[in-house]
Amino acid sequence: MLGVEAVRKCYGSHQALDGVDLTVERGEICALLGPNGAGKTTLVSAIAGLRRPDSGTITVDQRPVWPNPRSTRALLGLAPQDLGVYLVLSVRENLALFGELAGIKGQALVRAIADVAENLELTDMLDRQARHLSGGEQRRVHTAMALIHRPKLLLLDEPTTGVDVATRGRLLDTVRRLATNDGCAVVYSTHYLAEVAGLGATVVIMDRGRVLARGSLDSLIRQHGTAAVEFVFDGPPPAINGNVTIDDPNRVRVATTEPAATVANVVSALGSESVRLRAIDIVQADLESVFLTLTGRRYRADYETEASRGDA
Amino acid sequence: MSRIWSIGRHDLRVLRRDPAFLVIMIAMPLVMMLFFKNTFRLSLRAAGYAQASGVEQAVPGGVVMFSSFLMGNMAFSVFREHGYGTWDRLRASRASTGELLAGKCIVPIATLAVQTIVLFLAGAAFFGLRVRGSLAGLFLVSVAYWCCLTAIGLVLLAICRTIQQVNAAANVGGMVLSGLGGAFTPISDLPGWARTIAPGTPHYWAMRGYRSILLDNASIGAVLLPSMVLLVVSALLAGFAVYRFDAGDRKLSFA
Repeated sequence: MLGVEAVRKCYGSHQALDGVDLTVERGEICALLGPNGAGKTTLVSAIAGLRRPDSGTITVDQRPVWPNPRSTRALLGLAPQDLGVYLVLSVRENLALFGELAGIKGQALVRAIADVAENLELTDMLDRQARHLSGGEQRRVHTAMALIHRPKLLLLDEPTTGVDVATRGRLLDTVRRLATNDGCAVVYSTHYLAEVAGLGATVVIMDRGRVLARGSLDSLIRQHGTAAVEFVFDGPPPAINGNVTIDDPNRVRVATTEPAATVANVVSALGSESVRLRAIDIVQADLESVFLTLTGRRYRADYETEASRGDA
Repeated sequence: MSRIWSIGRHDLRVLRRDPAFLVIMIAMPLVMMLFFKNTFRLSLRAAGYAQASGVEQAVPGGVVMFSSFLMGNMAFSVFREHGYGTWDRLRASRASTGELLAGKCIVPIATLAVQTIVLFLAGAAFFGLRVRGSLAGLFLVSVAYWCCLTAIGLVLLAICRTIQQVNAAANVGGMVLSGLGGAFTPISDLPGWARTIAPGTPHYWAMRGYRSILLDNASIGAVLLPSMVLLVVSALLAGFAVYRFDAGDRKLSFA
């Protein structure tokens, strides 16, 4: 359904996308995972036909998005990162506009609004102005506006930013249903590691404009994840032997397949320094450790935002 | 075409939720007419219109000046989309940029039409305005002027980065152009330098057309020149705006 090949995009001297390759099949959920600034929003914008890549090709249903993005827009549904809802209009009016723009009219539009409202549990609030809804409800309206025309490719750019747990759960359920029942291909960008497991998605790890790895959650953890023990000290940590990473002034991370033995070895080797030891954390192999292995850096969602460079 | 109307209907819904600005832009010129009618009578009589009551300047002057305060509406409409975070959503829809802009022109033009019609009707009902020249001519000048103001709005959209820039340009520009165009006071009362540059403003041509109809009882033929000037200027401004406009520009706004 979606093909992205060798896509590059620069903003001045900043390389936002650096040779990105990606494919997403019908019914597949593809989670773009990476910290802010990884290039996720730029990639989603390029797929949606909003930002033209400097080079490379993007196809939707085997049709090239560029140079004529209108040719593929009928197939797309986009829910951008920032909330995009007309607060002074009712939920129904918000949905109707995007239905009409997609060419849905009359009774078909009425049915489409009812369907999408039911899917996202908005039926009871259809005639309320969006400004009177809670943040989570507005987020659901925001997502519903992208679904009204039943797109074949759904682009959700950090759809759960700032929402409560219940809303997040509903959105994830809806996304899974769309992929499973409707065969919708979903590109779901997020910087929340925990969300990816819940989606059952193919994971694409991005960092600094590049795709670092792609695969199922299990396969990525198998290939790149490592368990570790973290030692927290009162002040700068002493020298410790082993596969050590330090990215916090008081914390040392030792990669290991045998955490218990590592704890015993390190503590005995600390000698008099052990009085400064404040905590020991055992870290299971997970997506965070995958990211650490692939980038050499601990995963933090907010490394550097694209928005802060004015190019989100 | 249906997508253009969808955008227009949508903007109308937004306007209906908060019509205060339009109401103010209709009420204020009515108040102005009340106060300035007598002053304009003296001025017009001094200019040789012995039968003038002053309303022949007060009504079109109010229309031309307060319409020009609405010239930023087209730009405001798009800036508002940026404020709501919906501009990129619209761009990602099946509507082309041309359809979006065309749709965004509908309500501003309709707003100008409502304002003009209400002010002329109120002028007739409350201030004794009589249109002795061609009604069709009056309509032609009005349509040409609405087109011109909307085209200026397009230019503001293309060149301004913040909604405050649009606001300032629409207000200051509206005042200056209206003053130069003879909306505050008859052209004959303007200083010499202002009379010289007045024809460079669309407002001058609108006032000239209206005065022909209202003071000189002219036929439609007499307003062809001002109307054509306004339409040509509209086309040039719209062409420049379309050339300059980048739909991907980030505009700073508030919803």
